[in-house]
Amino acid sequence: MTSIVVNGVKREVQAPADTPLLYVLRNDLELSGPQFGCGMAQCGACSVLLNGKEVRSCITTLGSVAGKEVTTLEGLSARWAKQKGLSEADAAKTLHPVQAAWIEEQTPLCGICQNGMMIKATELLEHTAAPSVAEIKAAFTTSGPSPHLCRCGSYTAIIEAVQRAATAMTKGGQA
Amino acid sequence: MSGTLTDVFGAALSRRGFVKTGGALFAGFALAGKHVNAEDLNPALPESYIEIHEDNTILIRTGKSDFGQGTVFTAYRQIVADELSVPFEAITTVISGDTDRTPDGGGTFDLLMHGMPNLRLAAAYVHQALLDLAAQRLGVAKDQLSVKDGVVSSGGKSVSYGDLVKGQKLSLTIPVKGDVHSMFGLTVDGNPPLKPVSEYSVVGKSFPNSVTVSKVTAKEQWVTDVRLPGMLHGRVIHPKTLGSKLVSAGTLDKTKFPNAQVVVKGNLVGVVAPTEWEAIKASQQVSASTKWADWKGLPGDRRLFQFMKEDADWKTAPVASSKTNKGDVAAAIASSPKKLKATYQLPFLKHAPIGPTMALADVRADGNVYVYTHTQNAQALRSGIAKMLATPVEKVVVRTFAGAGHYGRSNGGNAGAEDEAVILSQAVGKPVRVQWTRQDDLQWSTQSSAAISDVELAVDANGNLSGYEIKHYMPAMQDDRLVGAVLAGLPTIAAPNEVGSIFGIANAMHDPWVYEAAPAVMERAYGGPQIGQSSSPLNVGLRDHSLRTPGQYQQNFPREVAITEAAVLAGVDPLQFRIKHAREKRLLDVLEAVRANSGWETRSTRPSASNGVSRGQGVSVMFRSSTYWACVAQIAVNMSTGAIKVEKITVAVDPGIVINPAQLKRQVEGGAVMGVSIALHEELRFDESGVTSSDWQSYPIATMADLPEIKVVLINKPEAGIYGQGSEAANALAAPAIVGALLDATGKIARRLPLKPEYVQSLLKA
Repeated sequence: MTSIVVNGVKREVQAPADTPLLYVLRNDLELSGPQFGCGMAQCGACSVLLNGKEVRSCITTLGSVAGKEVTTLEGLSARWAKQKGLSEADAAKTLHPVQAAWIEEQTPLCGICQNGMMIKATELLEHTAAPSVAEIKAAFTTSGPSPHLCRCGSYTAIIEAVQRAATAMTKGGQA
Repeated sequence: MSGTLTDVFGAALSRRGFVKTGGALFAGFALAGKHVNAEDLNPALPESYIEIHEDNTILIRTGKSDFGQGTVFTAYRQIVADELSVPFEAITTVISGDTDRTPDGGGTFDLLMHGMPNLRLAAAYVHQALLDLAAQRLGVAKDQLSVKDGVVSSGGKSVSYGDLVKGQKLSLTIPVKGDVHSMFGLTVDGNPPLKPVSEYSVVGKSFPNSVTVSKVTAKEQWVTDVRLPGMLHGRVIHPKTLGSKLVSAGTLDKTKFPNAQVVVKGNLVGVVAPTEWEAIKASQQVSASTKWADWKGLPGDRRLFQFMKEDADWKTAPVASSKTNKGDVAAAIASSPKKLKATYQLPFLKHAPIGPTMALADVRADGNVYVYTHTQNAQALRSGIAKMLATPVEKVVVRTFAGAGHYGRSNGGNAGAEDEAVILSQAVGKPVRVQWTRQDDLQWSTQSSAAISDVELAVDANGNLSGYEIKHYMPAMQDDRLVGAVLAGLPTIAAPNEVGSIFGIANAMHDPWVYEAAPAVMERAYGGPQIGQSSSPLNVGLRDHSLRTPGQYQQNFPREVAITEAAVLAGVDPLQFRIKHAREKRLLDVLEAVRANSGWETRSTRPSASNGVSRGQGVSVMFRSSTYWACVAQIAVNMSTGAIKVEKITVAVDPGIVINPAQLKRQVEGGAVMGVSIALHEELRFDESGVTSSDWQSYPIATMADLPEIKVVLINKPEAGIYGQGSEAANALAAPAIVGALLDATGKIARRLPLKPEYVQSLLKA
């Protein structure tokens, strides 16, 4: 039995400690944000935030995250609401500005990679309020174990969405 | 009208009864006098294309699926809304892809069907039927009626669509033709009056894609999320090579994996277990001790083009000739002062979806088979599964969910894992979810065909193209056999080289000639069998499959590079050279648009390098699916390392009617990125035994670091009266433009892809 905190909730998981976190999140906890892309930390489709840092859940074992805080795509809005100290009523109807920007910019094409893209964008914007295009490109290519890959070619739309989200977050969340 | 039929331009309108609630008009279909399922049309069942409900909401269905184009959720709704004169928002439900819940089948390609998607015609019939009902209700002649926002009115009287169907079950039977289980599905027939393009108010606006919200907020049910009670996780151990027969399957270590089991069927070895992690680890353990025969029957990537030139069979298949061939090319070239003879080479490419293929199958004791997957052609997959199991097609249901883009790979039905999941499920009597690994997906899926093209051309003393000849060589492009069935020794459709194949091994002319001013042109296309297949004991070679802009990419690249080379030979600016030889106004307009929007410098000499970096510009054009395209690439070349940075891509597109500008722009941007990826990075690696590209390092694709500035110029030509296609072509345009830019920047011509630094460096040193 391993104890982990996922999206603010403590969860007890039966799976063996060497199970990659991705399978725990998808199969044991039935979350659908992180996607299986390569299983080798080469694409970023499976990304989650671990204590606020983007990690690849496909190579992160359950045992290594015991007691740590995992945020998945499902938990981004609550994460934002907590950071902004929103009331429960306001939190329920608030999207994370990254998600709002992704919708506004119509960023996903097939969308299978966008979980990791939004997780990476959240990590970036929590540390860099107004990133330049070069900083955005660096975040999505050289900051992790591999570049975040999109086969549909949504990179332009991702950059535009990150910029939109940055503006919204600077203003306090109004997209 | 009760009990009687009203003829609506060849469709039949009837009332099937009265109801207290849920009144509606269901637009279903009839095929050659009978319904597809050979049972009486039940208007509440999924044969309906369109349903008009009494609450004024509308439901639409299509056998096509969404693979990231967004068309079924945006363009289809817009087209139907305009034909029916209702707001976009009135279409509240879109059902797509499922074989038991959608009417027409067909593949997720050519979504706008040259301007006439099934739903457009179906909506036109429904509109006429509703006008007939309104004329009767209001006591007004049909031609006196007008419709706005779903309300029919005339002379102060009005009635909504909802009121017209209230309390009734109305059925409209629309004529169709074709075979629902075939690659192409059913096509709506006949010629109902269509709304004039000038009256469109929904088409042309940038409505958002309705599934974006669910995908961004993790509420979408992806195929990867589908679970069934009692489901097992499966992994397949694929043969060691493309010709390896199984010698012996490895033995499962039951002490380590007590809940797993091994399934062997022919040359297919599978492992299933209740948890995914146990299935993965058990399959790795079994794989390590599974023995396969060795096989070598491929030329290997280093000898590919030599093999295609010297050894491949291009004589068996009939040769395709372009309909636009004209003049005496040999004489024209002989009498011209400047000549070019060149060969262009394109490697195999992978579709490379970010999510490896995955399917969940449930073969039940009663013989019913359910397949939950992400396919571009659910009905074709359904017939393939039925054939494999030798069971009636009615026993098989395929449901399709959101998943990774396939870019054509599953447009004949199969993505890879579906048949394997069915085989494993049948063997163990439980639902089985088969997830391919990244390695499986690169090594056991189909690929986009390699190609070579021989060109001879000449320019005359006036700098005009006087003669042009091209011969295209490409192995058979469409192998839709279920690969798991092939490995298991179960029935499949014919391989491309076998009797009964749908597409055969012949090539076709995919790239229409657009330089009408040229007096002598000869274009021919040669096809051949799949490389390696005939010598493989598994009957599997480098299986080919259409990839976004299929066949046309392989033919357009050599043509457009050759035209740029001809312009240089003529001493004419390559963009001006194209304008000089084009006659079609729509083509001239896209060329002028890329010239104006890209910062193109009209000149005939190349710029000089500074600080070891040389910059250049290149251009390409394409005519595809009623749509004209032009592209300009501006690049920087590091003259010592050979590294290319694509700095800007400008694409001008005229699809006729622009249905949804914002969505089209995103499609074109994405296509341009894939084009840069193909130009700079992509090449299938394989040795004499099989594919050696196994991950994103051995099959690299473009990252955000490669992203150029992308400028998209949409040219709306409603007067053309057609909808072109926006999700293809852009991925094919970049490479010839980038090669043109490299020639401009360095004076060196690259006649093969990809433009990796070492290749460019070798050109620079030559």
